[in-house]
Amino acid sequence: MKFRLPFAVAFVAFALFVLLGPLQPYLRETGALTPFYSDEPFTAAFFQSCFACPWLGACLFTGCLVVIAFLQRWAFRLNDDWFGFCWILPFALFANYTRMGYLIYTTKATAPAFTPVLWTAVILVVLGVILGFFPRPKWQPRKFVRWLSAVCFVIAGFVAYNYSFRDQNFLSILRMKHAAEEGEWEQVLQIAREEKQEPTRAQVCLTRLALFKTGRMGDELFAYPEGSAPYNAPQNQWLRLMIGPLLYYHYGKLGFAYRWAMEDMVEYGERPAYLRYLHCVARLNGEEALANRYERALARTLFYKDVCEREEAETTSIRPLLNYTDQLDGDNGLVEFYLLNSFALSEGGSRELVELSLMDGLITKNLTGFWPHFMALLPTWQGHIPAHYQEAALMVAQLQGGSPIPDLPIAPTVQQRFQRLVDASARLGDNVANVAALRPEFGDTYWYYYFFVEGLKTN
Amino acid sequence: MKGILSIYYSIAVVITTVVWGCAPSVPASYEEAEGPAVVSPDNFGATLPSNIAPLNFRILQSDASEVVTRLHTRKGGEVVAGGRDVSFEEKEWRTLLQEASGDTLFCDIYMKADGNWQHLPTQHFLIAEETIDPYITYRLIRPSYVTYEELTINERCLENFDERVIYENMRFEDSDQGQCINCHLPRDWNRNAQSQFHVRQAFGGTVFIDGDQVTKVNLKTDSTLSAGVYPAWHPTLNLIAYSVNETGQVFHTLDPQKVEVIDYASDLILYDVDANTVQHIDRTASEFESFPTWSPDGRTLYYISAHYTPRADNIDADLDSNYDSLHYNLYARDFDLQRRRFGPRRLIFDAESMGKSASVPRVSPDGKYLLFTLADYGQFHIWHKSADLWCLSLDSTDTQANVQPLQAINSPESESYHGWSSDGRWILFSSRRDDSNYTRLYISYFDKDGRAHKPFRLPQYSADSDDLLLRSYNAAEFLVKPVQPTPQQLRKAIKADAKPATYGGSALLHPETDTTAVRPTANAAERRRETVGY
Repeated sequence: MKFRLPFAVAFVAFALFVLLGPLQPYLRETGALTPFYSDEPFTAAFFQSCFACPWLGACLFTGCLVVIAFLQRWAFRLNDDWFGFCWILPFALFANYTRMGYLIYTTKATAPAFTPVLWTAVILVVLGVILGFFPRPKWQPRKFVRWLSAVCFVIAGFVAYNYSFRDQNFLSILRMKHAAEEGEWEQVLQIAREEKQEPTRAQVCLTRLALFKTGRMGDELFAYPEGSAPYNAPQNQWLRLMIGPLLYYHYGKLGFAYRWAMEDMVEYGERPAYLRYLHCVARLNGEEALANRYERALARTLFYKDVCEREEAETTSIRPLLNYTDQLDGDNGLVEFYLLNSFALSEGGSRELVELSLMDGLITKNLTGFWPHFMALLPTWQGHIPAHYQEAALMVAQLQGGSPIPDLPIAPTVQQRFQRLVDASARLGDNVANVAALRPEFGDTYWYYYFFVEGLKTN
Repeated sequence: MKGILSIYYSIAVVITTVVWGCAPSVPASYEEAEGPAVVSPDNFGATLPSNIAPLNFRILQSDASEVVTRLHTRKGGEVVAGGRDVSFEEKEWRTLLQEASGDTLFCDIYMKADGNWQHLPTQHFLIAEETIDPYITYRLIRPSYVTYEELTINERCLENFDERVIYENMRFEDSDQGQCINCHLPRDWNRNAQSQFHVRQAFGGTVFIDGDQVTKVNLKTDSTLSAGVYPAWHPTLNLIAYSVNETGQVFHTLDPQKVEVIDYASDLILYDVDANTVQHIDRTASEFESFPTWSPDGRTLYYISAHYTPRADNIDADLDSNYDSLHYNLYARDFDLQRRRFGPRRLIFDAESMGKSASVPRVSPDGKYLLFTLADYGQFHIWHKSADLWCLSLDSTDTQANVQPLQAINSPESESYHGWSSDGRWILFSSRRDDSNYTRLYISYFDKDGRAHKPFRLPQYSADSDDLLLRSYNAAEFLVKPVQPTPQQLRKAIKADAKPATYGGSALLHPETDTTAVRPTANAAERRRETVGY
């Protein structure tokens, strides 16, 4: 017992450290991606759904793996000297789940974390029963075996840790997504600000959405990191798979939010992550009977019964975005591209829609609709024109060959800054040099984005 | 020994007493309540065949602590069930229905609230003298758009709750190859064990079932738009009329109808099963023909067609923006049984003049009625809330004037994909009335005077099984006997290469005078359309 306990304690500490540390958002997402009503192995799906409450899921998962270790010892009648070897399989099963990363979205296995674990347990029990009919082996105490097994334990733990998928962008997307789903838009922005590496388009989209929701898009959007870092996974429509329905829902493209939630449900099963958006859209569409059906489906889960409660607050901010004429369209799975162009090319609508048109026109560098959108919004700003719109107004007026409209309340500081950019740009000349040299002073302006940020790959 | 017997006897007495004591019974005293019971599914008032499976239901009133339901006939037969989930034992239910055949089956519900029993107003079912075909087939599918997974063609016995999978697409599923299976259609209600269905994509082809023999044919030829799509078996000859369609899907950004399934081109073909040849029936470029169906004597082919005049070079873009401009009318062509040739087309029903669009015509087995869906536009009406079932009297010379909606059947949501029972007394149709999204099957009695009666939903063993099922039933058909081949036999035949059909020219009596503009077929191969889910 003395020799067994340190292994178990070390494993539990390792597993909980990894699962509840960096991988906590991954656990939570795994819970949301577990089809609960499946007639696949129910127990595995039920256990995996507990990842929705990360500490519970982590304890269950860790506990099952510990049981696997002890089952091996029992099945093969090993003495304590060999016990270290019994942890290779738990570490392998641990890594089998934690290394999936993005693939957790596209796996068709119902419960990829728990199914192998439970099947392993079943096989070990069967083996143990069968081996019980044979004479018990007599193990001689051997010190070197004890040391070898301890070394194996350490190596297995090291390998499992290294195999765990701890891609920072992936985990950030998940944290931002979870914050967005809870309406914690400030938290989304905080996560975006804290990032050190180039963001993926999914992070950029979530940041934009949070800025839109907090009404700070016009003042801060270009101050946040831009980028199109590749997803650390095989080529796929990761943005759509991870946050497609969320973005479409919050931007009022209800048909597309419903469509992709449904398409993914067809492909990957009745996951709460999809049912949530199917329910939200049905409610917002006024399809009460349909919404109730999804609500009843979610009510059958353990952790998503109250997922619809936040909807009222969400719908209040989405309704103004529904003030547009329906049309037939298709996005080919390119969510960001579709949203940007859809808003940039739209006309009229509510104040919120016009602001999206203005901003997405700026983002796509399509300035043809700038003045109509800008002038339509001008009275709503009540004297304070958001900084990026001032910057854009100055720039567009210059590009169109005229000086800024004198009646516009463009702040002198903005005008002076623009002049500094023009002077510096003329002085530095070469475009490549400008990108680096101007970034510290002008990297948070629309001008810098318009002239120097290029080659972003929307998806 | 005597002691043991005594113990057994005592246990038996206790069990009997407990079971008897728990058996639901109608309360001795109660008050009359005013409002009716709220139940799901609400089949009260429907006309039922005497061989239908029990119509179990759930009582939704939540303020009742106890509920007792009593079914009874005028002749004194009765069944009593307890609880909010009301389910009947099959044998008892069947006995009651047979006793009430041609008459009424009554349903009394008693609810106990605040310690007092109340009797809710008596409900009833009408029991028809005619029985119903014992089997139906349908496809179970999520109401999806372009993706599909786990599609099954199922067979269900209407006399009980037995359901089996005829074929499931996952048998050949892997990451690269999917299968979309659809349009299972029996010939002559499967009296001779003949039917067909399509397999798209991996191991694609049209699968023909004849007894336990299964063959697979590729109906696509260089001269036709596509393989066969919507089929219609000829009632006496071994011929099948198909539409061939270039179909695509486009998605609404906001409209809860969610998706439009549009034909960008469509024609009609005739497939001779014995000769394995495909002939054109109609391929006029300016007409989109689809959904053929034969008259029972096989002398007339009915179908829908919409006139389309291109407004732009890009037909796809034009129709995507003007999807609601396509209005389909009902047409017919006479068919010469000896020469196997079609005559000129004639207009049967001008839906366009009403600002409407007709689809899925189906002629009753006695040839008197043509049942179809009518909606505001287009032909894929399962996605159209305006889609209702209408009936046209073929006895009349003025068919345009003798068309009426089947008010007893229709709902504010979509009704579509309907079929007749072999005796013409029952109509099986799909409806989205329950939640506007998931299609459920309903069955309506169609009497000798041409009136449809209130329909009932396909009976389910558990009242909430439809509620939990996030899938749609579609393209259902009646059968008088089950489909024969096993899934293994079908799998083997599907895995084999498809026999290619050959093109045999026009099936028109006077092809040179009938069409002025023939659709070029070169474009067909250039279009790649997404698979349609419905």
